Amino acid sequence: MIAAVKRWHAVFYALLFFFPPGATAADDVSGAARELARKAAAFAGRGAAVAITWHNMPSLESISAQARTAFDAALPESGVRVSDAAPTVAVRVTVSQNATQFLLVAEATKGEEHQVWIAAWKRSETTAAPAPGLALEKKLLWEQEEQILDIAFPAAGMLVLSPSQLTLYARTGSQWESAHTVPLAPSKPWPKDPRGRLRLIGAGFQALLPGTLCTGAVEPAWSAECHPSGDPWTLESGSRALLLADFDAARNYFDGRVTTQTGQRKTVAPFFSAASVESQGRTWWLMATLDGKIQIFDAGLDPAGAAAAVWGSDIAGTDSHCGGGSQVLATRPGEAGQADGVQAFTMVDRGLEPLTEAAEFPGPVLALWTSGGSSATVVSKDARTGKYAAYAVTVVCGGLP
Amino acid sequence: MTSSRAGMALALLFATAAGAATRPHYGGTLRVEMHQTISSPEALETPRGFVLTSWEAGRRAVFTADENAPGGRPFLDSIEIQMARSLRDQSVDLELGKADVVELGPSELRRQVAGRRVWSSSAVRLMALVFGSRIADARVREALALAVDRTAIHTVLLQKQGEISGGLLPQWLSGYGFLFDTAADVPKARSLLAGLPAGAGRLSLAADDAANSAIAARIQVNARDAGLTVTVISPAGNPDVRLVETRIASDDAAHALAGVAAALGLNEPAAAHNLEESYAAERALLQGYQVIPLFHLPDVYAVGPRVKGGPVITPLGEWRFAGLWVDDRP
Repeated sequence: MIAAVKRWHAVFYALLFFFPPGATAADDVSGAARELARKAAAFAGRGAAVAITWHNMPSLESISAQARTAFDAALPESGVRVSDAAPTVAVRVTVSQNATQFLLVAEATKGEEHQVWIAAWKRSETTAAPAPGLALEKKLLWEQEEQILDIAFPAAGMLVLSPSQLTLYARTGSQWESAHTVPLAPSKPWPKDPRGRLRLIGAGFQALLPGTLCTGAVEPAWSAECHPSGDPWTLESGSRALLLADFDAARNYFDGRVTTQTGQRKTVAPFFSAASVESQGRTWWLMATLDGKIQIFDAGLDPAGAAAAVWGSDIAGTDSHCGGGSQVLATRPGEAGQADGVQAFTMVDRGLEPLTEAAEFPGPVLALWTSGGSSATVVSKDARTGKYAAYAVTVVCGGLP
Repeated sequence: MTSSRAGMALALLFATAAGAATRPHYGGTLRVEMHQTISSPEALETPRGFVLTSWEAGRRAVFTADENAPGGRPFLDSIEIQMARSLRDQSVDLELGKADVVELGPSELRRQVAGRRVWSSSAVRLMALVFGSRIADARVREALALAVDRTAIHTVLLQKQGEISGGLLPQWLSGYGFLFDTAADVPKARSLLAGLPAGAGRLSLAADDAANSAIAARIQVNARDAGLTVTVISPAGNPDVRLVETRIASDDAAHALAGVAAALGLNEPAAAHNLEESYAAERALLQGYQVIPLFHLPDVYAVGPRVKGGPVITPLGEWRFAGLWVDDRP
């Protein structure tokens, strides 16, 4: 809301004693039912007859059934009889909910006396993993609260690049534990929709960020150093093709200045991502440009037309040679924030044809980077949990990567 | 460069707000219309990531993207806000492509074309009747509370937006809102008024917002059925009862209750350590019928086709423009 809400009572808020949502909450529905049963027994008196009626909120039938079972079991344990015949106390029980809790609300009447008791327990969200694609194998690598820009696996562990830090995790048993962290503090805030790329070079690494380059090594000793940089980013595609491209430090795209593997400098339209693809023995580059199109270039980055494909902004190349050539993984077009999918395509006669079903993600795909060979790293924000998750997506050819 | 910087973690958190299958575009102006007339820039919340660069009191405000915004420069170059636009004019402007984001009242909501994107907050606007000091007899206030047919108003005039409410806090926030009675009971209202002296049931009523005048008129009719004589007057006429709206400003029940109580001129609610105590505090505030809660309504906006990203309305109705962008591609 644009109009300001008068907040003169802010100090008053501060002085008020607030209760956290779960301050007196039961652990679960059984605990809540026992709590209310105890109160009902104390109100009615031991051995008294209590008549119970239930009122269900719409959409809470399932939890209501659980609550009813628990409450019916808890009442006799508390020393009261459930009976509709000449009850001492009439109790109307409602299962309700607020933003964070389920509530069991009992309205009890004994003669002229009226009491309301409320017991609450925390809502736990259930999560269901999306079904994997038929020919794209999806494996969860890492999940965290902060956005993940990229993830890489040097011999010594796992590097996770986030907007605020670069972290090396070491495996201890079955757990990843933070071993080293480099805070990232750019002189200017990162652009919105921040992007970053990790590259492994032997035992060393590069972290490419808008206007910033971090370099270091994980072996034999950890080292890392970040500095402002206008150097181009290296964009690999599969295990063979690469391109140098200048990233606009204040935006979320490459500004169009590129250098090919043979050292040719070219200027193309600004683009979000690029991938190479082989078709009939020739190498092509595809670029997802800002106008939402996929532009095709030859190996020398001379324009070769626009593809008819309608993809999202992120593409990455793989080279598992399924379908007789390399593949391009692409996100779907659509609105920010929507659940996204990644699908593999192949190039046939300069046309791009789907090769697999889409691997679905439970939120928008925020990064799609080649991780070498037949795999790519996908970072998605889970719309249900709000967490960021990095996945390895591998093109599987008849079950064999 | 490797040292941390105060506030950076928060800034970075904001920087992560966007991202997409189709990545956001930079540039463009978002055109927003509102029916309120705001006379001073201090009363207009500056959208995060923008700075106020043009101000015409009560008419127009322009916010420009801050290149050094803590969360990163917003995608939009600017936001232009037109004030004092009637809800009907706003809808026309949206249809004609002259506006990108407009407010929707119940009437406009009914007329929206299929496929139009609509953004809505949770039900955060409390609509209530608030009595002034002249109506000293609680029976008169209770009679009006019992006379109002909330269901008819909600169905017909509000097009079932939001929720009928007898409590200060909405059901979605408290979870116990259903415990407050909302049903009309005209016979009981009449019986309350039966013993009162002649003239005690005469009231003046004003809607603070002209957009709610139809609801005030319906309350006038309901009141008459119960034996009250209600005259609808201008808000400037020192009415006995005001039809007001106030906002739920927190998603914490205790904060929200304190805020609503303060906004409506009620006593400070008792401190609450659990939901039972919160309910008791809310019930205590409503004793005496100084305030009669009627509905909790959402903020509803229609969004034009150029606008991408979002929704940018938080559950509490706050704007988050920084993650929006506009796309003028054909």
